[in-house]
This record gives sequence, structure tokens and C-alpha cells, in this order.
Amino acid sequence: MLEWLFRSDFDGATAAAIWSIAAVLVTTLTLFVYTLGLRWVTVISTRQRTAFVARWRSVFAAATLSEDDALMVTLPRFSHKQRANLLEEWNRARAVVDGDAAQNLILLGERLALPATVRNMLGSRKLRTRILAIQTLGNLRDLPSQSSIKKLVTHENTALSITAAVALIQICPDRAVGILIPMIEERTDWPRNRVSIFLHMAGSERISEPMYRAIRSADNKGKTLLLRFAHQVEANVLDALVDDLIRESNDPGVLNAALKLVSGHNGVPRIAALIRHKTWFVRVQAARVLGRVGQPEHLPLLESMLHDQEWWVRYRAAQAISSLPFLGPNKLRQLQNRQSDPFAADILQQAYAEVGLA
Amino acid sequence: MTAEQIVNAGQWVFLAYFVGINTGYLLQNIVAAYSIRKYLQTSDQFEAESVFSALDIPISLVVPAYNESASIVTSVKAMLQLEYPDFELIIVNDGSSDNTLEKLIDEFGMRRFPEAYRARVPCATVRTIYRSAHFKNLRVIDKENGGSKADAVNAGINACRYPLVCVVDADSVLQPDSLRRVVRPFLEDSTTVAVGGTVRIANGCTVRRGFLEKVALPTSFLPLVQVVEYLRAFLFGRMGWSPINALLIISGAFGVFHKETLVEIGGYNPEAVGEDMELILRMHRLMKEKRRPYRITFVPDPVCWTDAPTNLRDLKGQRVRWQHGLGQALFMNRSLIFNPRGGAVSWVAIPFYLIFELLGPIIELAGYIFIITCAFMGWLAWPEALLFLALAIGLGMLLSTSAIMLEELSFHMYPRTRDLMLLYLIAILENFGFRQLTAIWRFQGLIRWLRGGKHEWQSITRSASLADES
Repeated sequence: MLEWLFRSDFDGATAAAIWSIAAVLVTTLTLFVYTLGLRWVTVISTRQRTAFVARWRSVFAAATLSEDDALMVTLPRFSHKQRANLLEEWNRARAVVDGDAAQNLILLGERLALPATVRNMLGSRKLRTRILAIQTLGNLRDLPSQSSIKKLVTHENTALSITAAVALIQICPDRAVGILIPMIEERTDWPRNRVSIFLHMAGSERISEPMYRAIRSADNKGKTLLLRFAHQVEANVLDALVDDLIRESNDPGVLNAALKLVSGHNGVPRIAALIRHKTWFVRVQAARVLGRVGQPEHLPLLESMLHDQEWWVRYRAAQAISSLPFLGPNKLRQLQNRQSDPFAADILQQAYAEVGLA
Repeated sequence: MTAEQIVNAGQWVFLAYFVGINTGYLLQNIVAAYSIRKYLQTSDQFEAESVFSALDIPISLVVPAYNESASIVTSVKAMLQLEYPDFELIIVNDGSSDNTLEKLIDEFGMRRFPEAYRARVPCATVRTIYRSAHFKNLRVIDKENGGSKADAVNAGINACRYPLVCVVDADSVLQPDSLRRVVRPFLEDSTTVAVGGTVRIANGCTVRRGFLEKVALPTSFLPLVQVVEYLRAFLFGRMGWSPINALLIISGAFGVFHKETLVEIGGYNPEAVGEDMELILRMHRLMKEKRRPYRITFVPDPVCWTDAPTNLRDLKGQRVRWQHGLGQALFMNRSLIFNPRGGAVSWVAIPFYLIFELLGPIIELAGYIFIITCAFMGWLAWPEALLFLALAIGLGMLLSTSAIMLEELSFHMYPRTRDLMLLYLIAILENFGFRQLTAIWRFQGLIRWLRGGKHEWQSITRSASLADES
């Protein structure tokens, strides 16, 4: 066989097969060795990292407690390779503190020359490194990097741009809200929870006015999207905004989103029209609103919704009825008994059972 | 046609098949490696910030159960402890003939509940709905036996109240953070309609109170070889198709769906043997017919652990059923094949599945018969045949090695170096006997599909790890 293998007069197909086998064997062996090497590196680096983290956590813990410690505490040495670990740990420590403790960690970060180090990392080709750098600059509230981070907010990569948005809020919140809020409408790729995070970080007093303006000037799709975050604006601004939108709009998406935000302080505008809206989910929201803020005069409206052709409308109306504070168990039972429509009676029975009245 | 011409033609057919299937798998491998790397680059950030969970989408877990009295209590207890802010658990007792229902009633204080149930997707008659007195997010739907898992899941879908539905097998062991991981694509892309995650083999692992306590490899050959198979199937099989939105299957053991889309397409098909694959194919077909943008995505995180068959009888049953289901699902959705509007699904994924997965066993078995016949007739050029065999085994090894490398690069669930070496050994051994055996079973599955076999609930011999603890 071996003699055959080392002949030199093979036809094309056999030669190709021999070369393919050789290539496959070499690749398989390379992957095998690489995987074992990877395992070895993982074991070693996990061990080193555990020791590294233990050392630095105690440093960060001491630094958060006092400014003196932040300035005086002895800093363990770290190698260039451990830089990413250090940044991750510093960010982790920084993410859970605020006020003086955060300021102390920033001081410690400056002692470690983190601002200059991470500014250089912004130009890295590795996405992970860039994200880590942006996160750190945000946590350092590093004003000199403001313009670089502002540019990254418009980056096409979602993770990079949203991390930059959060960092910008940390660095210059007043300026950032003006830049970021109009962008929410366009950046539909930004995960909702992260948008919520940066709005929350900016604070309601800062975002109220720009959010109001952005929602008022957006088209229906934009209004619907922005209203998802409107619960974070100040209550009086929100009430006025919601009131206006419910009065003016007939778009199901806008109405649905606006109704979710009704507080009831100004009553519920157009409620009689909304419970008959042609779109079922608007009727669902109308029923929910009445369950939250309904008055005795709204009971006939809710009762009429028990006959709705859409199950969810009937269900929400029944839930709303069972949660009205001015109806006691007897009145609820009477209301159920007077339903001739079996769908209405069934859904009331379910809603009553859910609150323990069945 | 002379014997020589027949042998020549045969050689070319098998060679073309061989080149095609291996090129396909290698390409999937490359795409998967790239996608997993990209996924992991951003997952740290995602995890760090997901503590802000007020905006996570509520999920309804639907757990179909048929004669699951041995493990149902432990499974439900574990599922109730999942790390997710807002979810409900709906157990569907599909007319079990054992005491599955009684165990649930006793253990969780289930009370009859007058729910205004509405049948939005078809299923057998629902007898009673129960709600737990102890856990307000736990309900049990007791229904008449519909003869299939699909029918039971449909009953659960009808009772769901949340926008996302997660379908889980009653004997699955879930990662505590599984829901948080699979919900990520829904948060990142609002057109996402379905998400699957990696299913791993639980045999050999230590399971306590329904949760995985220690990951280890099984000790017997059959489950071990399935560990390697699952690594290949999930880490590059699924991950390779997902980036081009051409994923054709989300495992029935664990999948999350946008509920309204599920209802719109009519829920699961009780007639389908491979109801999980048929559902995804139908989803592709109907979304494309309606020209609606959508994404069916796969996350590589290990989210669910399941018991693999430990004996040949169970394994054969499983493989025959899978092949039967594949043929039926492709046939039921045949309008997708080379559909001008079908994109990568119609022009890449389905042709690949059709030629290499569905018809693969025919070609493979024909290849074995061809070689044996040629050998008997003295037509076989032994050195070339052995070269071909070596190449086939080598490529099989390469694919397995690559899957093991992806696992090591990403999640390294098997902690001991000995485990790695064992997996490599199995990747070699599976080529001698096991692959041929599965080709025969798959061929039988194909025959069963062509003869119109019927679907029924399937059960396997359960490993002790998943049984209820006293």
C-alpha cells in the first residue's frame, strides 16, 4: 500500500484524493492541537484571573470607601496583557456605585492612567476592545473624549453605538439628551432596555422637554416608538402630552401607546369613542385605563365591552370591572347575574375567580 | 452499458454527492465560527445590562405532558424557579393514562378554574383548567388525548396570555437563565418570530431538583456518540443557517415563538411527525407569501439539556421518526422549493436538506452496496477505494473536531481535558458502524414516510437523573 502511495504516475482524480486527505489530516490535527492549546490557555488564564480579580477587588473596595484610600492605596502591578481584566473589574466596581464612591473610583482610575490608556483603545480593530474602551470612558466621565464618543453614537454597529450613547449620557448629560433623543426614532436597532437605561441615567427633568418636542414632531410610527419611553418624563409633562395625543390622534399605534400612559389626573379624554374604536387593541387599552382610573359613570361603558367580539377586550373589561374600588362583592355578583350574553357571563366568572371572588 | 461504464458513472455520482455534502458542511462551519465569535463579543455587554429587566417581554411556557408522572413534579418545580421577571407556566396534560394530573394537583395545590378558554388554534377537547393555589403563574390544562405533542401544545397556546410562547418538553432540564438568553433576539430585532437555542445531552450529568448541577460526559457509547452529533448539529448545523435567515428547524425540546405569528399560521400541525420542523417551514412559507419581514434566529447558548436514547431500540425509533418527519415536513411545504420569492430558504437550505439530508441515506446505502458489489465482482480498485474511505473518515473527523473546537471557543461546558480526548476518540469511532447503522435507520424512516406512517407520542427509556426526587 505504502509503495502504491508513493508512486508518481497517478491519474488526476487519485492525486486530488491524496492531496485532499493530506489537507484534511493536517487541518484536523491543527484544530485538535489548537483546541487542546485553547483548553490549556483557558485553565492557566482562569487561575491567573481569579488571583488578579481577588487582588484588585480589595483595592477597589478600599477606594470606594474614602478619597484618601483612592489616592494612597498601594496599587498591585499589572501587565499589559492584564489591562482588559483590570478595565472589566474597574467597570464592574464602578457600575454599582454612585456619588462620592463613584468619584473615588474615578480618582483611582486617573491614578492608574486609565483615561489615556482607553482613549488609545478607541481606535482598536477589535469590537470588544472598543466597546470596553467606550464603557470605561463613560464611567470615567472623561470630557476630553466627548467628541470621539459622539461620533461613535452614529456607528452602524448596534452594540458599539448604544454603548457610546450610554457613555455620552454619563459624560455630558445635558448635551447628550439633545443628540440622542431625536436619534431614538431612527435607531430602531437600539435595544429598548438600553434606550431606557440611558434615559433613566439622564433623569426625568433633563429628558422631559426634548422628549415632548420629539414626540410632538414625530410621525405616527415615531410617536408610537417614542411613547414606549415616555413614562420616564415628568408627570405633568406626560399628562399634558398624553391628553393632547388622545384628543388629536386616531392612529391605533399612537392611541395604544398613549392610553398605556394615562394617569387619570385629567380624566380620560374621548373614552366613549375609544371603547368603540375599530382597532381591537385600542379597545383593550381603553378597558385597562377604565380599570385603573374608572369612575362610577364609566361602569355602563365597561359593561358594554363585555359583549365585544374580541376575547381580549371582554377579558380586560371584566378584569377592569372586578378591580373597580367602588364595587363590592354583592354588586359584582348582581352585575354577573344580569348578563344574558353567555360570553359576558363566562368572562366575568373568570375575572372574578382570578381575584378570588368565584 | 458495460460494467466498466456503470462503475465509472457510479463513482462520479458518489463523488459529486460526497463533495457536495462536505463542502456544504464546511461552509456552514465557517459561517458558524464567524457568527459565534460575533455573538460572544456582544454577549457580555448584553448580560451586564440585562439586570435592567423591566422591559423584558413576558413569556408563557407551554409544557406538553403525556404520562410524565415520573418526572413532572421535579420539572415543574425547576421551571417555576427560572430566572426571568415575568412568565407563566402552562402544563398540558394530554389525557395521560398514568397519574401525571393527580401528582400536579397534589403537589401544587391545583384548583379548578373557570377560564373563558378560546380555541384559536385547533386541538382536542379541553376537559378542565386548573390554577395553582400556591403559584399564581402556574396553570394546568387537562385535555382529551389528541394523539400528538402538537395537539397538546396547541391547547397550551390557546391558554397563553403573554406575547412570547416558549415550548418546552416536560423532560427537559433548562438552564436557569435560558429564557433571558433566548429572549435577546426578540429585544434586538422586532421582526423576530422564532428563536431556538442549543440543546445538549443530559446523560452523565448530575441533575438536582430539576437543575443541572454538574456537567459530565455519559459513560456508555450510544449517548457519547450523540453528544458529538449534537455538538455538530447545533454549533454549526443550526448556527450556520441562522445568519442567512434559513434556519429550517428549532428543536421541539425548547423553542420560543411570537405568539400572534404562531396563531396566525394555525399553530402546530397535529398530522406532522416532525411537528417542530414542519412549524418552522410553514412559518417561512407563510411569512414569505405575505411578504412580511421576519427573522428566525438561533442562539448558540446551551439552554436546555435532554435525555438521549441509551439503547438501540429507542435510538432507532428516534432516527426513523426524524427522517419520516423531515420527508413529510418538506413535502407539506413543497411550494417553498425553488420559490422565486423564497430567498436563501428556497434556494439554498431546502435544496441542501432535500439532497443531503432527505435523500442522503439512499445515496449512502447505495454507495456501500456499490462498493461491496464491486469488491465481489472484482471491479474494485482497492487502493483508490481505501483512499476514498480514508477521505470520508477524515472529513467526518474534521467536522467533529471543528464542532469540538467551537464548543471550546465558546462555552467549554465539559471541564476535564479527559472529556475532550474522549470526544475526539468517539469522533473517530462513530465512523465504524454507527454512521452506517444510522443510514439504515434513516432509510427506514424514508420508507415509513413514503408508506404514510402515523404520528404518536414517543417515549424513551428515561435516565435516572431526570426522575422526581423523593
